[in-house]
Amino acid sequence: MDLVDLIAEKRFIGQEFLTWLWWKSEERGGSVELPGQGDVTVVFEKHMLLEYGEGESSEKCICSGLQSELKEARTGLVMGKKLEQARIQVAQNDYEWNFTMAAAVMEFRNVKLPKTGAAQEGGNSPEEIEGLILERIFLFEELVRLVQALFRMFLEVRVSNSWKDELVKIRSWVHTRGQMT
Amino acid sequence: MGFLNGSASFVRFSVEGDLPENFWDFAAERITAFSFKDIDETYDEFSIGWVSVQNMFDSDFQFASYASGDYVTLSLRIDERKVAPAILKKFAQKEEERIKKEKQIPKIGRTMKIEIRERIQSELMKKAAPVPAVYDLCWNLSDSTLLFFTTNRKAHTLLEDLFKETFGLLIAQQIPYYMAERLLDEDDTQRLAAITPDIFV
Repeated sequence: MDLVDLIAEKRFIGQEFLTWLWWKSEERGGSVELPGQGDVTVVFEKHMLLEYGEGESSEKCICSGLQSELKEARTGLVMGKKLEQARIQVAQNDYEWNFTMAAAVMEFRNVKLPKTGAAQEGGNSPEEIEGLILERIFLFEELVRLVQALFRMFLEVRVSNSWKDELVKIRSWVHTRGQMT
Repeated sequence: MGFLNGSASFVRFSVEGDLPENFWDFAAERITAFSFKDIDETYDEFSIGWVSVQNMFDSDFQFASYASGDYVTLSLRIDERKVAPAILKKFAQKEEERIKKEKQIPKIGRTMKIEIRERIQSELMKKAAPVPAVYDLCWNLSDSTLLFFTTNRKAHTLLEDLFKETFGLLIAQQIPYYMAERLLDEDDTQRLAAITPDIFV
């Protein structure tokens, strides 16, 4: 199967992951426990894009606002839409990232890296520039590592027998959220 | 905005295949061979090649500036001469009017119209300054992955081609399904292949 067909057929995996992550982050008030790594802060904020259906018959719904006001997004979930894009804040230890995830192809958009001392001091010598490059690479890869760990967590439940129980909890959350709006 | 400053957008690729022995010697030779060639002083319509992530005018890579620890950092530079459709239409019509007047004819035939359009396009193309686009990449040699700092699909395809030509290695965009195959064991991967979309309400 070529990449275009595979993206079309399997785009739901990324979208289900993002929707699951929204539920997972709210389950414990913005914190997800990663196996063996402890808690990671995961907060959905400001901007979301939901999608329903495929191809020409697909519907999209863009919602933006403060975290507590994403009413349309919650209503969208009740109507069976899935998250395609969301602005997320992820934090672990002293690092905090903000980024928009496009779920179907797992793109990281407008990634804002944690502020560090080295980045602010700058410098022009080749050693300082290489140090800055390596630090930026580390921070980008660290974000990818965290998202992968969350994705792995989702996948392991998604392919297991416990997915049915997880789905019951997610559906209950979607309905509770829908009623709140 | 690339990966050196400010906020950045990126996608991940996996790099398929083994690195050659003496990789850094190989890289030095291949990157130089496929470095960016300026077309400002020529009439070429398109040029693509590697430049330094720190400076889009540096395609010499003194002191192997693409090497950072266990990473290769490069920028893909594409310069392209373009003529906006509205400009082409305007000048083609202008030329048609000139010819009608000159030859005292009321109408210009289809074949001639095409000829005029092609000639004008070629003339305008020569006058147009090449538009540059620069996209950064960071290749992690130890785990064979690559971050490419743009979400532009056309640039992804151009990267796949140039990367293959330069290093003889294929890259594959890590969409969720491919990423999942790497994260799960064999049994779980088979289960993943069989799952269908679920309804969350």
